[in-house]
Amino acid sequence: MSSPLMELKGVTMKFGGVVALNDVTFDVKKQEILGLIGPNGAGKTTVFNVITGVYQITGGEIVFDGKSLSGVKRYRITKRGIARTFQNIRLWGDMTALENVMTAADTHKKSGLVSGLFGLPVSRREEKRDKERAQELLDFIGIGEHADRLAKNLPYGVQRRLEIARAMGAEPKLLLLDEPAAGFNPAEKVELAATIRKIRDAGYTILLIEHDMSLVMKVSDRVVVLDFGQKIADASPNIVQDDPRVIEAYLGVPEDAS
Amino acid sequence: MINIRDKGAEIWENQGRAGRVAIALGAIALVAALPFMGGTLLNTPIADYESVLVYPIAMFVLMAIGLNIVIGKSGLLDLGYVAFFAIGAYTMGLLGTKTGLNTWEILPIGIAMAMFSGIILGVPALKLRGDYLAIITLGFGEIVRIVALNLGALGRSEGIQGIPTPPGFLGIEYAFDSHRIYFWTLLILILLAIWMVRRLSVRRAGRAWESIRQDEDAAELLGVPTFRYKVWAFVLGASVGGAAGVIYASKTLFIAPDNFTLQISILILACVVFGGMGNIWGVILGAVILGYLPDRIRFLSEARLLVFGLVLVIMMNLRPDGLLPRKKREKAPNKKVNS
Repeated sequence: MSSPLMELKGVTMKFGGVVALNDVTFDVKKQEILGLIGPNGAGKTTVFNVITGVYQITGGEIVFDGKSLSGVKRYRITKRGIARTFQNIRLWGDMTALENVMTAADTHKKSGLVSGLFGLPVSRREEKRDKERAQELLDFIGIGEHADRLAKNLPYGVQRRLEIARAMGAEPKLLLLDEPAAGFNPAEKVELAATIRKIRDAGYTILLIEHDMSLVMKVSDRVVVLDFGQKIADASPNIVQDDPRVIEAYLGVPEDAS
Repeated sequence: MINIRDKGAEIWENQGRAGRVAIALGAIALVAALPFMGGTLLNTPIADYESVLVYPIAMFVLMAIGLNIVIGKSGLLDLGYVAFFAIGAYTMGLLGTKTGLNTWEILPIGIAMAMFSGIILGVPALKLRGDYLAIITLGFGEIVRIVALNLGALGRSEGIQGIPTPPGFLGIEYAFDSHRIYFWTLLILILLAIWMVRRLSVRRAGRAWESIRQDEDAAELLGVPTFRYKVWAFVLGASVGGAAGVIYASKTLFIAPDNFTLQISILILACVVFGGMGNIWGVILGAVILGYLPDRIRFLSEARLLVFGLVLVIMMNLRPDGLLPRKKREKAPNKKVNS
């Protein structure tokens, strides 16, 4: 594949004495779907949190699109082209689905408070265009008919999809999906896998955390495995599946468990 | 219980542009005629009805609209809102007595001063959230009052006296007791504030505030410059409070630190919560009722505050989200088929 869109170089994240990520190095290449897996507590969501600036890393460097992300404000990281979904759904419940997407899309808006106050044409034009774009995104994700419903009243599966649509609203180059299939039944998972591929084909790069192995193995081009904050594997799905260290991390070792 | 809010919104949405303009103008005319209804049921038997219309009612409405930007729209609990009111009033008092500037010239200066202090307070305070922010703002409200109490230039506990009334124009004279004129002046400011809030509620700023109120972390991680918008909310709220302060000083002609106690902040907050946080019509209704009620029941004398408190408690039990709560109406799911 092509050049890396993002590189994690020796990223370490310590919380006091707890080492959540220990010298983690991997890259995400343009237009690939990279699966990020590992047992509970391996540090997957921490990876998302350090990339998006929720935590400041205590060691190493994250380079996105050729520039370091250290010390960059969270909303600016989004503006540079990284947007995420949340493992526990965190939509803005009292806003409609469309507004949820539009709010994220405002990231790249030029008009602000003053032009909005006076209803300047530039603001009105942008508003109209963004509305159309938000509707297109909802349609793309397959929840277009729910555009005008409040997010909190949407069915669970639609909320999960809206999380993705909202993140895409911010026009990211890199989309971070945190367990997008959590709570889905097998049929829904198959549908979601198709959606994720469709998103990639539309030009996005995807970093995917997912517990469902069959889903990860099916959609990912490559898989990075974390265990206790360390990277233990980084290869294509079929190689990772047979890696003894990965099997050990997931299933444990029968003897010599020291 | 019938849903007044939805009913109102329904009627509004079914009107064409002409219908809406007619409704709005009719409502404004009705409100503008309020000073002439002194002889009716609305009368406040003991207090001067027209004066009550100006203060507290119209003044509370204006301040409640301003505070609603901060609390209702962006979810920032500000317990020191009176500070901006005081800063507007003292700007008027000081410049009105020391310089030759008149009220209309001081009004923008007072607003600017309030906004500037909004930035001074907002930038450090808005790094905090929730209860911590509330405590800082509470402190700020008290600091402003105590500074006024101790600063010689501001007259200490004597305050400032002999503040000029606004100069008249077009044959309108602002005399000390021409309450109607002050009421209409405030009405214009209220309409301006409503226009500003409604304008800002629908576009980018409104969405940003809404997202901050509902989940600030998610907002920041999805590209909303949360800090900037929180400061903006603070500053815009302050501007409305400052405007109210200028008019207040120019009306009462005498201000002292005692006019700007914590109680005012709490009362305005009560107006917002009582009426319905986040819904501008609810907030206005709340301010009208809480401004009016104490004077309407003044004949109860000592029992007045007891009844006032009781009404608050009962209402908050019956309608915990306020009289006209913020409840967004959902349109039915789109029927159109999307390709």
